[in-house]
Amino acid sequence: MDAQKQLQARSEEFQALQTELEVLVDARQKLESQQQENEGVQTEFAQLDDESNIYKLVGPVLLKQDKSEATMAVNGRLEFIEKEIKRIEGEISATQEKSEKMRSELIQLQSQAQQQAAAASASE
Amino acid sequence: MSQNTDGAPQGSINLASLSVPQLRALQTRLTSELEHLTTSHTKLRAAQAKFRDCVRSINDGVTGNAKKGTDGRDEILVPLTSSLYVKGRLTDREKVLVDVGTGFYVEKTAPKAVAFYDEKVKGLDANLQELEKIVQTKSSQLRIVEETLRQKMLSEGAPQAAAG
Repeated sequence: MDAQKQLQARSEEFQALQTELEVLVDARQKLESQQQENEGVQTEFAQLDDESNIYKLVGPVLLKQDKSEATMAVNGRLEFIEKEIKRIEGEISATQEKSEKMRSELIQLQSQAQQQAAAASASE
Repeated sequence: MSQNTDGAPQGSINLASLSVPQLRALQTRLTSELEHLTTSHTKLRAAQAKFRDCVRSINDGVTGNAKKGTDGRDEILVPLTSSLYVKGRLTDREKVLVDVGTGFYVEKTAPKAVAFYDEKVKGLDANLQELEKIVQTKSSQLRIVEETLRQKMLSEGAPQAAAG
């Protein structure tokens, strides 16, 4: 019975870890799409001549912006996104490692519980 | 076509060696993957249609099209909401503002804007073709898995029926 309880607690922990992993992967995907969008803007800016007018949407209004300013903003964003992706990837691999460990633990507990159940039914 | 004559890459498993629950799990996974890919496909198509609409709007509305009677006429109805319009007048038929992403708008001449959108449509076309290839391989994989599953069920059901 003890093994059963332990097994349940452990598998709940494992589930929690899995959802955590899912959230992280989602965040990673979101960052990736943001990165792609920003890269598109960056290449677009690179093709523009210096006197083209660039506007930035702030709330409901368009504000005129310098090309250098806009390029800097996009570059800064890309840098930030890159860092975020690295950070999240680190977290993902750490969580994966943890869940891998927990999985093998769970399998062990499961076989233990099965053995106990078998022993209990044999002694009856 | 059986899974063995597929020219399966190294490290692949013979599907026939999998158990029924394993095959079922594989089937559900492939189905959900396929679903995800098809929704992406629809989204890409929608985006492409939007860009094509932009090109059409520029050609007909901004540059003016003699055939459609929009050439040289500056009157325009401006949508304030989807059901409310006001009369307006085009003051600039040369330049448009193009959304290049992440809230940035760039002023472009009409031909340049058309080129920009055409480029986008072309890029999406490449993506769509790639995606279609993936969808095809996935659906053929799914077919093979389903076929194997059916055969398994039949051959496993037979001895049980004979025993019972």
